[in-house]
Amino acid sequence: MRYIFKFPDIGEGLDEGKIIEWYVEKGQSIQSGDALVKMETDKVVTDIPSPKSGVISARYGSIGDSIKVGSALVEIDIEGVEAKDAQDINQEEPAKAVTESVDEEGFGGVVGTIELAGDGAYLPAGDEGISSPNEPKARKKALATPVARAMAKDLGIDINQVVGTGPAGRVTKKDIESHRPPAPQRSVGSIETPRQRTEPLSQIRKTIAKNMLRSKQNTAHMAIMEEVEVSTLIEARSRLNEALKHDQIKLSYLPFIIQAIARALKKHPVLNAELDMENERIIYKDYINLGIAMDTDDGLVVPVIHDADKKSLTDLAHEIKSLADKARERKLTLDDLKDGTFSITSYGSIGGYFAVPVIAYPQVAIFGIGRIAQKPVVKDGEIVIGNIMPISMSVDHRIVDGAEVSRFVNDVLSYLKDPILLLA
Amino acid sequence: MTYDLIIIGSGPAGYVGAIKAGQRGLKTLVIDKKYIGGMCLNWGCIPTKSILESAKTYQKVLHAADFGVTGIKAEEIAFDWQQAVTRTRKIVAKLSRGIEFLWKKNGVEFLRAEAKIISPTQVEADKRVFETKNILIATGSRPAPRDDFPDALSLEDLYSLPVLPEKPLLVGRGANLVELAQFFQMIGKAPIILADDLPLMPALDASLEDFMLKKMSKAKIPLIPVIDAQIKDKSVSYKDKDYPFDMVINAGFRSAVLPQMEPQLKLEDGFIATDRRHMSSTDGIYAAGDVNGKGYLAHVASAQALEVIDSIMGVDLPDEERRYPLNIYTDPELAQIGMTEAQIKAQGIDYQVKQYSMSANGKALTEGSSEGFIRIIHETKYNQVLGVQMVSANATDLISEAGILMELEGSTYELARTIHAHPTVSEIYMDAGGMDG
Ligand SMILES: Cc1cc2nc3c(=O)[nH]c(=O)nc-3n(C[C@H](O)[C@H](O)[C@H](O)COP(=O)(O)OP(=O)(O)OC[C@H]3O[C@@H](n4cnc5c(N)ncnc54)[C@H](O)[C@@H]3O)c2cc1C
Repeated sequence: MRYIFKFPDIGEGLDEGKIIEWYVEKGQSIQSGDALVKMETDKVVTDIPSPKSGVISARYGSIGDSIKVGSALVEIDIEGVEAKDAQDINQEEPAKAVTESVDEEGFGGVVGTIELAGDGAYLPAGDEGISSPNEPKARKKALATPVARAMAKDLGIDINQVVGTGPAGRVTKKDIESHRPPAPQRSVGSIETPRQRTEPLSQIRKTIAKNMLRSKQNTAHMAIMEEVEVSTLIEARSRLNEALKHDQIKLSYLPFIIQAIARALKKHPVLNAELDMENERIIYKDYINLGIAMDTDDGLVVPVIHDADKKSLTDLAHEIKSLADKARERKLTLDDLKDGTFSITSYGSIGGYFAVPVIAYPQVAIFGIGRIAQKPVVKDGEIVIGNIMPISMSVDHRIVDGAEVSRFVNDVLSYLKDPILLLA
Repeated sequence: MTYDLIIIGSGPAGYVGAIKAGQRGLKTLVIDKKYIGGMCLNWGCIPTKSILESAKTYQKVLHAADFGVTGIKAEEIAFDWQQAVTRTRKIVAKLSRGIEFLWKKNGVEFLRAEAKIISPTQVEADKRVFETKNILIATGSRPAPRDDFPDALSLEDLYSLPVLPEKPLLVGRGANLVELAQFFQMIGKAPIILADDLPLMPALDASLEDFMLKKMSKAKIPLIPVIDAQIKDKSVSYKDKDYPFDMVINAGFRSAVLPQMEPQLKLEDGFIATDRRHMSSTDGIYAAGDVNGKGYLAHVASAQALEVIDSIMGVDLPDEERRYPLNIYTDPELAQIGMTEAQIKAQGIDYQVKQYSMSANGKALTEGSSEGFIRIIHETKYNQVLGVQMVSANATDLISEAGILMELEGSTYELARTIHAHPTVSEIYMDAGGMDG
């Protein structure tokens, strides 16, 4: 049985990717999970694994070609699979195919989804589109319906740029309608005036917008804010940096905060969980993968430090640096972005004491660190200069109540106040 | 042993679905309590077209002298009903052998028995229980029995009549009724229509209904709305006039034929309620064709069954409903596809009708059937064709040109630009498409 594997949605909102390298040839046997192709998107460079075992019967696109999400990448002849078995495969996972959560966005945290096997992968009985589901590059002149052509001309759209969803990729009226940005004159009147201008949304901005909204629409955000006196931490950090002088690494506060949070999460596993509303259950994660919001020129990304609880301060510092470098150079891979269980944003590194960060849905919480400042504090009945770190945390009140959140915050702050406890 | 699919009913939904299922490698069993091909093949689509063709031939021979064919004595021309039925039976037998051949070729099994669903994965028939992963109910429909005429003849029984009635009273509504009325009229009988409601053919564009009502009125076929009629033993009186009849035929709207089933599926107006994939309220049990009440046409039934197979294979179906032709096999034939003028108007679309008469069509004139017209309705921005109605000989075939055009989102410009052969009836598309405005 022939299976058409479509370019999956890696990181929701990104709607195309560029082929960097093909790993498979036509006629080659592959196992499910084998990398098929290396793709570059706005955000990541990643290998796309095959969802099925079989023989490659067709490959679409050459190196450098842009492939739209949902367009065919390869066709796989599934060995020995009679249509019947194929049906079973499908019934196990109706319509949805395999999805994995991927963390990927900034400050408030943005979440994407990778779809490993696109839906509609079986050829319909009508045999529509069997010939060439996706050869936008090979074909100079797009296949299009007469009305779609007239409409494209009318609206000044290059029809060859439009993704066709009709039989064999034919561009239809609907495709033209959905291709064109909403007609300005209809929605908001003429918006180009001497005092304002418009700019199309970048892919990353679209992703952020979509995921932020998704988080706000699907969770019950609640925020808690606190301050902690961190003079001991400051001193511990500078002494450690002194000791690590020759190691080419400088500790920021982040590794300490990561360790503090990882420890506290172990005590409060509900904050390292996920609510599965559909099946009315909570999924507890036995691993602690912390997403770290990073600002880059292209936009915000949230690479993940996997198994953060098992890493030393210097390991963490190295890893943060390496992720930050990759983020800046747009070299983050999908693996760097996925499977986060909790997120951290250090908005204070730019400025701001308190904030209400947006949870990286479906995670339960995000922890924000504000700017450390010297402030008067009362110590032993006297006003002295203290070093105050403000923190802000947003949690999903559907899963966890305020009391538990306060206990968690207390635990985190006790480590930050007295970092020696991290050694215990 | 477990089947992938058991199909109950072998009409256009059942047999077409079975062939496709076989081709897709699904282990498939078809169960029908009667004949292969269902209503459509045995009593509906094919037989009615066959006897209508006999009637049209009878008419043609009656008027043979106009064409220069002489020597036929008008008083000796007769309509032999039994021969018309025999011819029909031969056609049906040939087609049903064709289905059997295709089933065999694609590994589809067949069992003649009444089927009963006893669980979502079990069908009982012939005192045996068959296990299956999916069930497709394709048991069709029949005219609802009538309280006013409990003994009315059904359309199936027509073919067993040794002699046809002289003054049949056709009660009901819809295309079947109109075709039958004209059949009787063409062979020299005096049918009476007792209409449940008007319009007689509610799915048709008003232009086609108007044409047909005028045609029937010219042919002196009485059309009596049932609410204004008084029904006596062997006559109907209407507006102080009596219309005697010698037989009643039920050509009413249809109701679903439901198999015995456990679980009970959700019904809507007596038909099996289904979603876009034609899945019933129970997972794995599908219903296609007349039995789901979404349309009462063979090609709609078949198209739905193909979508069921797609669904079982995991293919996503496009959201939009499919467009299909609506044909009436009268003389001349009526055909339409796409939206009616009323539907277009209701959607507030700016539209224009390009109407062209058959009387200027050379081929139609030579064939002696120049009655009729084409109406092409298009929106006014890109001239996209939204609906086509036509009346002509072979309109039921000619409508397919409009079908392809609309499937490809074509406009009147393509019609006008396409070179049509001369002389053909199809030229009317080019003529109408090229009209100004
Ligand atoms: C007189 C007439 C003329 C028509 N002309 C046309 C036409 O020209 N064009 C057109 O498109 N449509 C026409 N139709 C409509 C067309 O016949 C139906 O739309 C079509 O037959 C529906 O197909 P189906 O597969 O849903 O059901 P059907 O064709 O009705 O088949 C149902 C089958 O299921 C079987 N069955 C029912 N219950 C059971 C059970 N419990 N166990 C086993 N088997 C069972 C029946 O024996 C039957 O064979 C006409 C209909 C009539 C009555």
